[in-house]
Formats: sequence, structure tokens, C-alpha cells
Amino acid sequence: MNKKNRTRWLFVLPAILLVMALFIYPICSSIFYSFTNKNLIRPVYKFVGFDNYISVLTDKNFWNAFFNSVKWTVFSLVGQLLVGFTAAMALNKVNHGKGIYKTLLIIPWAFPSIVIAFSWQWILNGVYGFLPNILVKLGICDVAPSFLTEKGLVFAVLVFINIWFGAPMIMVNVLAALQTVPQDQYEAAEIDGARSWQSFLYITVPHIKVVTGLLVVLRTVWIFNNFDLIYLITGGGPAGSTQTVPVYAYDMGWGTKLLGKSSAVTVLLFIFLIVICLAYFAIISHWEKEDK
Amino acid sequence: MKSKGKKIQGALCHVYLILLTIVAMFPLVWIVLCSVKGKGELTGNPTGFFPKTFTLEYFRHVIFDLGFINNIKNSVLIALVTTVIAIIVASLAAYGIVRFFPKFGSMMSKVLVTTYIFPPILLAIPYSIIMAKMGLTNTRIGLVIVYLSFSIPYAVWMLVGFFKSVPIGIEEAARIDGANKLKVFSSVVLPLVAPGIVATAIYTFINAWNEFLYSLILINDTSKMTVAVALRSLNGAEILDWGDMMAASVIVVIPSIIFFCLIQNKIAGGLTEGSVK
Amino acid sequence: MKKKIAMLLASAMLIGSMLPLCGTSAVMAEENAEELEGDITFWHSFTQGPRLETIQKAADEFMEENPKVNITIETFSWNDFYTKWTTGLASGNVPDMSTALVGQVAEMISADALLPINDLIDDIGRDKFNESALNECAVDGNNYAVPLYSHAMVMWIRKDLLEENGLEVPKTWDELYEAAKALTKDGIYGLSFPCGTTDFQATNFLNFYVKSGGGSLLTDDLKANLTSDLALDGINYWLKVYNDCSPKDSVNYDVLDQATLYYQGKTAFDFNSGFQISGVQANSPDLLEYVDCYPIPTINEGDEQNGITTSNQPMVIWKNSKHPEICREFIKTLYDEDTYVEFLHATPVGMLPAIRGISETDAYRDNEIIQQFEHAESVIADQIPGGTAIGFEHGPSIQAGIMTNQHVIEKMFQDIITNGTDVETAAKAAEDELNALFEVAQ
Repeated sequence: MNKKNRTRWLFVLPAILLVMALFIYPICSSIFYSFTNKNLIRPVYKFVGFDNYISVLTDKNFWNAFFNSVKWTVFSLVGQLLVGFTAAMALNKVNHGKGIYKTLLIIPWAFPSIVIAFSWQWILNGVYGFLPNILVKLGICDVAPSFLTEKGLVFAVLVFINIWFGAPMIMVNVLAALQTVPQDQYEAAEIDGARSWQSFLYITVPHIKVVTGLLVVLRTVWIFNNFDLIYLITGGGPAGSTQTVPVYAYDMGWGTKLLGKSSAVTVLLFIFLIVICLAYFAIISHWEKEDK
Repeated sequence: MKSKGKKIQGALCHVYLILLTIVAMFPLVWIVLCSVKGKGELTGNPTGFFPKTFTLEYFRHVIFDLGFINNIKNSVLIALVTTVIAIIVASLAAYGIVRFFPKFGSMMSKVLVTTYIFPPILLAIPYSIIMAKMGLTNTRIGLVIVYLSFSIPYAVWMLVGFFKSVPIGIEEAARIDGANKLKVFSSVVLPLVAPGIVATAIYTFINAWNEFLYSLILINDTSKMTVAVALRSLNGAEILDWGDMMAASVIVVIPSIIFFCLIQNKIAGGLTEGSVK
Repeated sequence: MKKKIAMLLASAMLIGSMLPLCGTSAVMAEENAEELEGDITFWHSFTQGPRLETIQKAADEFMEENPKVNITIETFSWNDFYTKWTTGLASGNVPDMSTALVGQVAEMISADALLPINDLIDDIGRDKFNESALNECAVDGNNYAVPLYSHAMVMWIRKDLLEENGLEVPKTWDELYEAAKALTKDGIYGLSFPCGTTDFQATNFLNFYVKSGGGSLLTDDLKANLTSDLALDGINYWLKVYNDCSPKDSVNYDVLDQATLYYQGKTAFDFNSGFQISGVQANSPDLLEYVDCYPIPTINEGDEQNGITTSNQPMVIWKNSKHPEICREFIKTLYDEDTYVEFLHATPVGMLPAIRGISETDAYRDNEIIQQFEHAESVIADQIPGGTAIGFEHGPSIQAGIMTNQHVIEKMFQDIITNGTDVETAAKAAEDELNALFEVAQ
């Protein structure tokens, strides 16, 4: 018994130690600095209590970034799920060319963020871009639309790019889950005269909802924390209209070099994400229990 | 009647999929076309679809003058080492969690996932301080260690699902035969979850390959830069050359696309295989 | 085995993380006149082409002469460089020597990151340099940077476009606006106004206007000054240019996007240094013969204008360096006439000599571009002595650095353009924000 107890730790210890080593210092130092007026490039600092938190929470730019983040996450997530889901359902339906569609449709997933940024910046460029110029040429627009700089447009464009990039991952995973649904249940339902939306609701959904839940958790975190896409495509501009919390924290840490304040931002961000994740986990474990 | 309805449905599915495919493919097609267009065509004729003159000059410049192949090597090396270490550590941990810590297992994996939700932006400055203290700034090893911070939690999370799906029977039988735990693990369990491990490895590799922020902050030396950062440095060069940027993007993206196509059946359901069971 | 290494690493990291954040004290190596020995790292932002090559060549030659010296060169774009050295200072990972932007040198000095290099300047010959160039990076009689080359901002034009449309080279801002507006047609933009928040171009452009009217973006006691009549006129002027003569995307442009438009022949006017020539040469060789430059316009015709923005590219030695003596010796070799002329020729007319007695030499004049662009060179050379770095008309200050590096003025322009905020309100808000940042930095 004793021996069993010792060897089992051998399996989990490397991971636990590594993760602890990789996270304890950053977490502690961030929390620590968030209570100081530490400047990135100066060695001296002093404690300022909750001043950083107060100044962050009263900064209208922070709230702008926060609501942008929420908007960015919700719209991107819903869009990715919608496109990913419908694409998976369509793929599940078609008999011919399934392999080719699938291969071509996952291509956006293979794009590193910097290449996503380059290619879309190039396609949408207000001066040399294909799309604005073709719209003018076809007479759809009088002047080339500035997809990446016009206030009303740029956010939607970024969300579109994020959906373009993220939907394939949802598609692939949902498709795999769909294939685990036993076909005979559908057939039985059809014999009973169920309509297709009914069999979707009562057969498909219960089978894939746990998977979808997990996907939603992972995607939410990924999208919320995502820094590269926005930073590389718009840098948060124009006038902060695409600035999300990570971009705000970056500007705070490296731009104004107020490390204390930027630490406070990230600590707040972290707390927010934990709350969201806990809520998700509660829902998912509820579902899992339901299944059993 | 019914079959006619099915046919229409099928046709609609095809139309939808074709539309999606066009949107999904367009950026790739466009950057490939732009990377071989002659000088002046890129900016002079933005709506011209096919190149009027064909040139490989941008590729020559990017590969030979800017040494891009070297950056690709760095990225492959860093992503590969990260993947190997992460998979070894994570598969041990996932197995341990599932087999020996049934009660605390779910809590442990949740803690691990919590680390995944850490905003990388929060970790960047502390990591650069640690790496400097350990003398690992500007080294590929340093970058691998940092990459483990997001790779291990993610890999454990995925693998726990796969290990849950291993039937206990076979393993119990092996235990009766007197084989010790590690042997059971490597000779009985591992082969069973091999597909899951491959899928996890691919996810890990892709995440490491695509990583941008840490690599931007931790690597200074051009010869050690990963492709993502080397690509970006083209954008900050003294002359902005979209031709070079397109060619370099093609060089970076084509191998990953080929890779994706080859392994697409493995990634399918990578996340879900285990966790649904 | 792997696991052991992993555990070792893990425990090493834990221990490392428990160490207090000790301040890095500069370790000064003894001056060794006999033989130089050691490794140095040199960060510079000459990221491409001939400039990169000539610097590398100079380093290679230096290493050949001093076999025990190793010089590692690492290059970054100007934007990344700022992230690099600020993070580097936080983690104790800065180079031995580097290039820098003048506005950032003030910040580096105030963070106590640089080594005074009076002796290096004396060795090269203090009287060879322009005194105002040296003073830009000097505090309390200590010089913290040595200028490698100089250039000044001037107005670039396209002779062919002006001629076709029967226009004269504009001398005042109003003439420039009229000409730019007239030329904005057929896929050409008269003049692009860049205000991307990753760069300080809008500050730069606003500074042209304000300084040409005899004003400054900083008050005499170093507070931001964006609400003076002159500054408000300037803001309104550039908004007018943005609305009527500029591509709409320019609201997010940095210097490179901006210059690229001119390189590609998409803009008729631009403001930049002599680097425009090599840019046009590389991108649109056919247009090269139509490119020329003139002094920055003035508000009224005949106003005096002796130069507005001059850059004297600083080279600095970092306090953390273990081998400042190697840096010093290496920097000296960059000013050897042959090496220096070769370096300047890497971007002819783009980089003008920072030391006297070079521009007259036959070796320097023996360059096709320098001969072809004699007029442009003389215009730039005339503007150099009278200009300063942005905000440095009151002497070097950290405020000037903050004003250029925090992009507050760019955000102000974006706010007016995208949100339609009233100019005076936005200017007041930006002024307050800058003053608050100045306060924090004290």
C-alpha cells in the first residue's frame, strides 16, 4: 500500500512541479507589483495599496477595453460556433466530396496569427487592397471602404477574421462528435415521424453538448486572452475602438511602462476569467451528471 | 417526394460548403498569387487577379538574402522539443490523474486548466525576468521552457479525456502478471491511447509553432528568431515590401497546410474522443 | 533522464524566483590599453541591406584586428527596439552598445542606464561634431551619446505631377494644402497624414506646423502645449489635409506605411528625410528622376524657417556593459574615413555626415545618387543645423521623449477623426494626459 502510494506520485509530480515552477513566480510577482508603483525601467518602487486597482477601475479606457473584450469574445464565439456547427452539419449530410471540403475548410486553422494579419491587411488595405478596389471597380462603393480604420467597420472585420480563423476548429470537433451519434436513433425517430428539427434537438444536441461545452470553455479563454490578432492587425486603433484588455495591458506595461498598473489589469482579467470558467464547469458537470 | 426533398437539401449543403470554401481559401490563393507577381504589379494593379509577369524574385530574396529557412528551422526545433517534453510529462500526469487519483483527479485537472487561462500578457514580463536570471534570455531552451507553461496544461487536459477511455480490464490483467506500473503504462496503456497522444501532440506543436508574444519578447538574435517574429520584422524593416511579406507568408504557411492535410483525420475529434466517454 | 532534467530546471526556476530582485550594478572593467578581450553585444536598427552589411563588415574587421573580441550584432525594427530595451532594463538584459532614438535617450539617461562617453567624443574630436547635436544627449556636462549621422525633415515633392498640373512648389502651408488637394485624383493622394498609434508621426507633423510658426509643443517650463492658438491651427490644418488629400487608412499609418505611399508614387507630397530617395529607387526606379525636396513650408510667405526637425542618430554605451572599452574602440573605428564614407553611401543623401570635413571629400562625393541629388542634399544640409529633435527646442528633456513615445497626440487625432470629438476638447484632454504622464515620470 505504501509503495503504491509513493509510485503513483511519480506520474503526476513532474507535471505539478513544472507547472508550479512556471506559474508561482509570475503570479506572485504580478500580484505583488499590482500593489506597487513599479515602473518597468526603474529599480525603485513603493507600496501604494489599492491605488492601482482604483485607478484602473476608474479609467474609462479600461472599461472601454473591457467591453470591447466582452463584445469581441461573444461575437467571435457565437460566430465561430454558428459557422463551425452549420459547416459540420452540412459536411455530415453530403455524400460526395466530403474529404475535399474538409481539407480545404481547415486551411485557415493552419495560419499563424502573423500570416493572418499580413494576408488580411493586404486584402483589405485601403490603398492597394483587392477587396476595397474591386468594390469600387464593380460600382458597389463610390470610394474604397476603409475596412481596417473606419470605426463602424473595423470591429466587425476583426470579428469576421477571428471567425474565419476559429470556425474550422469547431467544425472538425463537432463533426467528430456528430459521427459518434448512433445512426439507428435517427432512423427510429424518422419511423416515429419526428421532424428533422426534433431529431436534431432530442438526438443530436444531447450527444454533442458536453463536447460543445468544452469547446466553448477553451475558445472563450483563447479568444478573451488573444493578443496577437488584434495587436498585429490594428494595434487597438483607431481611437481605441478595437482595444481589448490584453492590448490595454500591453500598452500599459510597455507603452507607459507602469508595470504596477498593468499588473493590476492582468490580475483583474484573471479573476474575471476564473469566474467565467467556474460557471462553465458547473454547467458542464451538471450535464455530465445528467448523462449518467 | 421525400427523396426529392433530400436532394434539395443535399444541393443546398453543397452550395453552402462551396461558399465557405471560397471564403476559407481566398487569403491563401491571394497571397500565393501575389508572391509571384512582378514588381510594381502588387501596388500598381490591385484588382488584377492573375500575375501578368511571373517572378520568383521575392522568394529568392526572402530565402537567400534574409535567411528565412533558418527561422523555419528554429520554429520547427522549438515546437518539436516543446511537444516532446510536454507530451511525456503530460501523458504521465494524465494517466496518474485518471488511474491513481480518481477523487482529486478532476480537481487537479481543473487546476491545470486554470493555469491555461492565465493571460500570457501577465506572464511575459515575469518570464523575461526569470529567463534573464537563469541566463536563458535569447536562447531557444528558454523559449521552450516558457512554451511548456501553456503546452503542459493543455496537453494534460486533452489526455485525461483519452485515458478515461482506456478499458480497465486489459490493464488489470497486466497488473496481475506482475508488471510494474511504468511497464503497464508504457506497454499496455500507451499503445491504446496512441491516437489520442498523436492528436494532443499535434495541437501542442501547432500552438508552439504559432506562438508570437513570448518569442517577440525573449529572443533578440535574428538567427534564433522563430518565423512568426522574423515575419513581423519584415513589417518593421526600413522598406516595406509587400512582395517579400507575401513570399515569406507563403513559405511559412504552406508547410503547415500540408501538415494539416496529412494529419487531418488525426486531429478530427482530438478534443472530443475521450471526453465524451 | 528527461524527467530529471525537467525537475532540475523546475527547482532551478523556483530558486531563481525566490532570489530578490537585485539591482544590477555596473561592473566597470579596467581599461586595458594593450589588448582588448571580451564579448560585446551591439543592438542596432539598420535592419536591411547595405547599412546592415557595412556595419557587419566594420565589426568583422574589428574582430580580425582584435582576435579576442567577439561582437554579436542583433537588429530590431525601431518599434520593437523600444519594447526590447525597456523589457531588457527590467530583466537586466540590455546590450553593451546600441543605436537609439534621441527621444528615448532622455528616458534611458533618467533610468540611469547609460554610460557617459565624453572621452570617446574627445578621442574622435569634439570639435568635429556639431555642438547642438552633442548637447541633445548631454546632461550636466556628461555626453551620453555620439551622433553617427544626421538628417533633417524636409518636404518631398514630385516634379512631374506639379508640372503636369501647372503648380509651383508650395512655400506656405496654405499653398501646400491647395496643391495637395488639386493633385488628389486618379489614384494619387496629394499628401497623406499618418496618425497610427504605434508611431509618433502625427506628433512629428504637428510639430512641423507649430515650429514653423515659431511655437513649440512644450512650454518653457516643459508642460504640454496643445491648446495654444498655433497648436489648434496646426491640428485643424492636418485634419483638413486628412479629410481632403489623404487615404482614409492613414489614420493607422506608421512611418513606414506613410513613406511606402511615396515610394510607390501614390502620394505627391511627403515629409521625411533623404531616405525617401533610396525608397523610391528600390520601389519605383522610374520615378526617381522626378523626386526632389524643399524646406518645410511656413505659415506666411517669407517667414524665416531655418530647420525644424533634425535627427542626429545617437550611439550609446550601456552602463551594464562589462566591456565599455571595447565599445569605445569599436565605435571609433566607425568614424575612420573609409568605413564612414562607405556607411554613409549605404543610403546616399539619407545619412549625412555627423562630423565635419567628410562631405567635401572626393571619396564622399564619388557617388551617383549624391551627385544626382545635389539640390536635395543641400536643402537637407541647410536644415540640419537649425533643427532639433521633436520637443528639444528647450534642450533635452524626458518630457520631449514622453511626448514622442507615448503616442498621446496620435490618439488625440484618432479620437477627433473617428469619434468626431471637438478639436479643443480633444486637445485639452491630450494636453492633460501628457502633463499627467510627465508628472509620473518625474
